[in-house]
Amino acid sequence: MTESHDHVTCQEVVELVTDYFQGALGPDEADLFEQHINFCEGCNWYVDQMRTTVAAVGRVREEDVPPEMRDRLLAAFRDWKERK
Amino acid sequence: MPQVQQDQTSSAAAAQEAEFLARLRAGDEAAFESLVESYHGTMLAVARDYVKTRDVAEEVVQEAWVGVLKGLDRFEGRSSLKTWVLRILVNTALTRGGREARSVPFSSLAPAGEDEPAVEPERFRPPGEAFAGHWNAYPGNWSSLPEEGLLGRETLDVVKAAIEMLPDAQRSVITMRDIAGCSAEEVCETLELSEGNQRVLLHRARSHVRAALERHLDD
Repeated sequence: MTESHDHVTCQEVVELVTDYFQGALGPDEADLFEQHINFCEGCNWYVDQMRTTVAAVGRVREEDVPPEMRDRLLAAFRDWKERK
Repeated sequence: MPQVQQDQTSSAAAAQEAEFLARLRAGDEAAFESLVESYHGTMLAVARDYVKTRDVAEEVVQEAWVGVLKGLDRFEGRSSLKTWVLRILVNTALTRGGREARSVPFSSLAPAGEDEPAVEPERFRPPGEAFAGHWNAYPGNWSSLPEEGLLGRETLDVVKAAIEMLPDAQRSVITMRDIAGCSAEEVCETLELSEGNQRVLLHRARSHVRAALERHLDD
């Protein structure tokens, strides 16, 4: 944060975005952050870019279980069941 | 009364988990299969932090499942099932790590306050000038881009490549949080990170992916 604590700069905003999304900013910091992005078009777009990024990452599909591994694990599970 | 609602939601989730656990313990194959399917991607991503190659990571995941079966009847539900499975994975990877570990241990990859800005400092007005710390030129307005650009196959490939390039700890955290949908608590418990370090790693990871998207979209 700045020494004055009465505003944040764009350079500070880009470092606070994740904390802001997470609700991890204190109430005063969150206020300063919101005031800034309400007035600064550049930072408003930047925050939008970060939202878009999180959504884009969320569209990556997780890797599927390879079929051989699934078969081996199911065999291990049956084995475990029988030995119980 | 959000607190009450939250308690009801979490007790409903706990009841669901207890029921699922009972099915597993009774030997329900479909339950086990769905568990393997839903955790595999996360487990593989986490295992890759601890061992050198993808093949070894797959072996670690498989070994971890054997450990899960061994411990299933003793699991007391003090953590969530997911956290418990992921902890077994990490312990398996660490044991295996004696032979196969990367030279740099995971904990040392956690941030220690070193400077890694989300956006290059050159893009802001320098200290001492009027409007120091403000943009030289605004970043792009992505909401004005055509949807195909953002949702297309190419963009997805850029995102995947950017995640692959991340340092291990960042890749694990972003995979767990933004792809697998783990909570911050689950990530902290699994990777033994503080809440603050977890957020720093997530922030750096997302910032790297954003920068890669920016290079792609602004072309």
